[in-house]
Amino acid sequence: MTHQVFDAGTSFDLYQSHKSLGFAALALTVLRLLARLLQPAPVRAPGLDGRLARTVQASFYLLTLAAVAAGWLLVSSSPLPVPTRVFGLFVVPDVAAPDATLFGWSVFAHRVAAGAIAALFALHVAGALKHQWIDRDDTVRRMLPPLRRGP
Amino acid sequence: MNRIAWSRLAACAALAALAGQADAAGAARWRIDPARTRIAFAIDAVGYPRTQGTFDKFDGRIAIDFLEPEKSSVVFHVQSASVDVGSAAFGDYLRSPAFLDAAKHPTIDFISTSVEKVGDRAVRVTGELTLLGVTKPLTVEVAVDRPEGDKRLEFSASTRIDRLAFGMNSGFPLVSRDVDLTIKSAAAAL
Repeated sequence: MTHQVFDAGTSFDLYQSHKSLGFAALALTVLRLLARLLQPAPVRAPGLDGRLARTVQASFYLLTLAAVAAGWLLVSSSPLPVPTRVFGLFVVPDVAAPDATLFGWSVFAHRVAAGAIAALFALHVAGALKHQWIDRDDTVRRMLPPLRRGP
Repeated sequence: MNRIAWSRLAACAALAALAGQADAAGAARWRIDPARTRIAFAIDAVGYPRTQGTFDKFDGRIAIDFLEPEKSSVVFHVQSASVDVGSAAFGDYLRSPAFLDAAKHPTIDFISTSVEKVGDRAVRVTGELTLLGVTKPLTVEVAVDRPEGDKRLEFSASTRIDRLAFGMNSGFPLVSRDVDLTIKSAAAAL
């Protein structure tokens, strides 16, 4: 996001889209957490693999919420007051007053959370591929919708 | 869109006649070509690309007296809402009270108070710039070129203004106080 590849106008538009997607991610995460509370996971995978999988999943939820929270703090505390418009539909209020120090920390936290999510994502995909190609078990297949599972 | 008003032809012609000058170059009517006029600005910000844009709606009056350049004058009124930075959303943000406040201050104005020749192809224009309702002095060196003799005139000028002096404080210090202005224009002799 911080590479100077685009001109200022395109960068501005990309940042607005990024903020919109961030709030969309927040909404989806909240809905997903509600779904998990109402209907717990069907199978509790055993062993080290199971514990690692649950840790990664919990981390995804926490890091996504942390990234969005840091992003919200970042735009609120920014010395430059740009209104946060979600997909051009409504404006999200600020949760902090302009403050250069808070802004600096929020930017740092946002980047750390984003980097951690990217790293976990890579680990998660590696895990899925391990189950599919090395263990050759049905872990990935069980996640597919019933119609696609085949006979 | 852009209007050009004329002035001083009669005065120049009269003076030329009185001085016994047959040189028509000192007293010529010039019309600015809007298609060849560009009012551009640029501003830096930390961790963000250099913002470059133009103002696309303006009107200006330039009266040039080559015999007596101190009688020349420059007046420009730029429509602040006409800012173009390549993004409608970004343009709207710049038009907002955070920066240009176009609803409250529809024009940015420059009115010269004196013009002096500083070289064969340069003049120094001293005047006043009004931005966000604040008026400050501004002096600009203008390069003047006459590539086709008496038929065409080209100007270019660059200057830097301090937006904080006009009360445009948003984003400072992450967004620079310095705004680079570049004006290029061409005028044709009538």
